[in-house]
Amino acid sequence: MYPKIIQEHFTYPKNVGRMKNPTATGSFSMPDLAKAVFYFLIEEGIVKDIKYQIAGCPFAIAVCSILSEYAKGKNVKELKNITLDTLGLFFEIPTEKEECINLSLNAFLDGVKSA
Amino acid sequence: MGRIIYLDHASTTPVDSRVLKKMKPYFTGLFANPATRWTSSISQKVDEAVEEARKNVAALINALPEEVIFTSGGTESDNAALKGVAFANRNRGNEIITTPIEHEAVLKVAERLQDFGFVIKYVPVDSEGFVDPDDVKKLITPKTILVSIMHANNEIGTIEPVREIGAVCRERGVFFHTDAVQTVAHIPVDVEQMNIDLLSLSSHKFYGPKGVGALYIRKDVQIVPYMDGGGQEQGFRSGTLNSTGIIGLGEAAKLGKEEQEERESCIKEFRDAFLKKILEEIPAVYLNGPNDDRRLPGNISIVIQGIRNEPLLVALNEKGIIAGGGSACSAGKKNPSHVLEAIGVPEEDLFSVIRITIGKDNKLEDIDFIVENIKEITNQLRALSPFWEE
Repeated sequence: MYPKIIQEHFTYPKNVGRMKNPTATGSFSMPDLAKAVFYFLIEEGIVKDIKYQIAGCPFAIAVCSILSEYAKGKNVKELKNITLDTLGLFFEIPTEKEECINLSLNAFLDGVKSA
Repeated sequence: MGRIIYLDHASTTPVDSRVLKKMKPYFTGLFANPATRWTSSISQKVDEAVEEARKNVAALINALPEEVIFTSGGTESDNAALKGVAFANRNRGNEIITTPIEHEAVLKVAERLQDFGFVIKYVPVDSEGFVDPDDVKKLITPKTILVSIMHANNEIGTIEPVREIGAVCRERGVFFHTDAVQTVAHIPVDVEQMNIDLLSLSSHKFYGPKGVGALYIRKDVQIVPYMDGGGQEQGFRSGTLNSTGIIGLGEAAKLGKEEQEERESCIKEFRDAFLKKILEEIPAVYLNGPNDDRRLPGNISIVIQGIRNEPLLVALNEKGIIAGGGSACSAGKKNPSHVLEAIGVPEEDLFSVIRITIGKDNKLEDIDFIVENIKEITNQLRALSPFWEE
């Protein structure tokens, strides 16, 4: 039903939750329908910690988890132009799930760009 | 695949093994077209079985066999009823009354009829989804030709006061159609007592096969057939009969009539125990629709605040529990349920609804397992959710 990587991250999402003193945050929402919030702890340009909150479909949840794993330890500059291809998500994205995936990606990029 | 606990019976039901057994001979040996009954002995046997099915369906709703027309299911029956009555009575008027909580098989047909000069009026529903028969009365004018109001709602389980609505229609000389897809064989349905002129039913909602249903048409009701051809079904519905399906529907109807009371009481017991447990176990959960005998025995529609229904349903499915949702998110666009909107569910809760619909084979001893899983997944999703504050 779902691509394997989505299934895995949806079932066991990594880095879930809020962060007390983030150095950057980003969010994106579709009012009353879905929302994603990312929290970053960035020291000297490096992502030391990352957390997120998400209310959305399994794709949106999984992509938050995948992004959080990818970003850890990376330089923020590298993350500013991230796309789904960068993440190695080489599965065919169902048209009706594009918006859900973009919700998570946009929240992430919102945080990265404000850092 | 491990054990499945199926809780989406309002969507469809499995075919009862006794129904399948009844159908089997009619796929191969007894395959002949019942229309050629005067010249073929196999056809005659098929025709006899079809007519037995018709009697069983008629008996289930207290109709005469000749008032039952076989169709392909609920959607076709609704189309045939609304379009059929509208076009046959165009000279009497052009107004049709319905509700905002009907199935799309009624709502979309009503919209289509607007293109042909018909005027659709919507009678409001209250916060539990009930229609007030007095409101129907107020909307009826000399131009009204048809009232179509469902017997019970598929999403929130509200059972409408169809008997009283039917009485209002009869008093004013207006035809009354009811979509009884969710009620036939589940709760008593009696077209005489309930003042019903046309009624839609569907086989797969009560342990019969998919792709077959029926439309009850009271003998004095005029309709224009929408499917012309060989003149089967008294000319109301041309096309070679789906005899195997019809025979399955007939058997499901017979069993439904015999076992209706017993099924209803078991299913209600499950519903009430489940609802009690889930409301106790999970905070910020509430029921949509009425919480009394005016609710379908097998329907539970609940809001679980702070989460979205889709990941919950997907995670439940992984545990072998299949339930249904309310509103769906489609292509990232809001596609809220028109029923939940009509009863005034707050916008932030529209995508937090799950629908559990119970069937005759669900087991009371599974309730703990189901509720525990819903609770665990809900806690996980709430921990993730920016909409949820402890």
